[in-house]
Amino acid sequence: MDPTPACLSFGELSDYWTPDVSDADAARIESHVFECARCARLLEEAEQLRRGVGALAQAGRVAAIVTDSLLNQWAEDGVRVRSYVVAPGDSVHCSVWADDEVVVGRLRGDFTDVDAVESEMRFQSGELWARATDVPMAPGTHELLLAFPGDVIRRAPMGPLRVTLRAAAGPRQGALIGEYVFDHQGVHDRADS
Amino acid sequence: MTGPDAALLAAQDDGALARAVAAAGDGAPWAEAELYRRFAPRVRLYGLRHLRDHEAANDLAQQVMLVVIERLRAGEVRDPGQIGSFVLGTSRMVAAGLRRTERRREHLRGRFVSDDRAAAPAESWALDARRLEPCLAAAHERERTILLLTYYAEKTAPEIAQALGMTPGAVRVARHRALSSMRECVEARRSA
Repeated sequence: MDPTPACLSFGELSDYWTPDVSDADAARIESHVFECARCARLLEEAEQLRRGVGALAQAGRVAAIVTDSLLNQWAEDGVRVRSYVVAPGDSVHCSVWADDEVVVGRLRGDFTDVDAVESEMRFQSGELWARATDVPMAPGTHELLLAFPGDVIRRAPMGPLRVTLRAAAGPRQGALIGEYVFDHQGVHDRADS
Repeated sequence: MTGPDAALLAAQDDGALARAVAAAGDGAPWAEAELYRRFAPRVRLYGLRHLRDHEAANDLAQQVMLVVIERLRAGEVRDPGQIGSFVLGTSRMVAAGLRRTERRREHLRGRFVSDDRAAAPAESWALDARRLEPCLAAAHERERTILLLTYYAEKTAPEIAQALGMTPGAVRVARHRALSSMRECVEARRSA
């Protein structure tokens, strides 16, 4: 079926599934979708993406920069999150338990005049394990929260993992914010203890 | 009574199907089935947004299409050519009734049954999630965080903007870009 003249963009349709859409815009989208099979299909696709992202997040199956509100949502949903806090120049011994669903590193630092950061995580050998670029930092932030699925950490080799944070945008672009070491002590099972 | 073949059926617009049902009474099951196939998914999507529950959305789709087809058969739809508007109006009316019922049910549930929000998603969702996982992993850091905050933590663009040091407009733009990339990624993996 051909698109109707007033077909909506995928972005407009995807807004229907966000808390941002106004009642008037939602009603406008609904009126169109009930007249247009093409846009109805796109709305369905947008809903599948929304549902899939939500399901992955709820299962802790995503590595991402997170915020306290995401940690709160995980707590509300009963997701098992283990956190380690580390300051610039410090090293922390860390372990992961068999039932941990998410492991979070809280990297403290001075982020004054830093609009975005980039991070690199390397094993003792120098091999790169993970890299994040263009990580936004809100003014007044004192820490960066890196979340990893528990399964990913359980598969990671034991030993030190060095994280380097640099300013990627803002007046201090390129400046070193801190180096942090997570000394991975392995996997524990509650049944063993 | 047999209906037109699949190609002819697909070429009929919604209004023509509705008029066929209205003209035949209960003698056009092929047109009723095609109307159901076209509109039940849209009613379900409407229900997902307004009732926020998959079972309730499926119930809504069944109830609305039953009402629509009965009203068509009885000749009670004033303008079958505007069947889309009629289905939407019926969806609004039936959803309002379901919300009233649900509020009463919630009242009782709150007193007698614990709410288990941590229940695992249904298997069909898990399959979707597996297909989506590499696409979400491939998204830019900033966009991935925005998607999680939008669809999991259910935060608004202004709330996300404050948490990430962005403007609400930039959050919306990044979200649109991320969703388009994800859609392309899922499509590419589907056809690979």
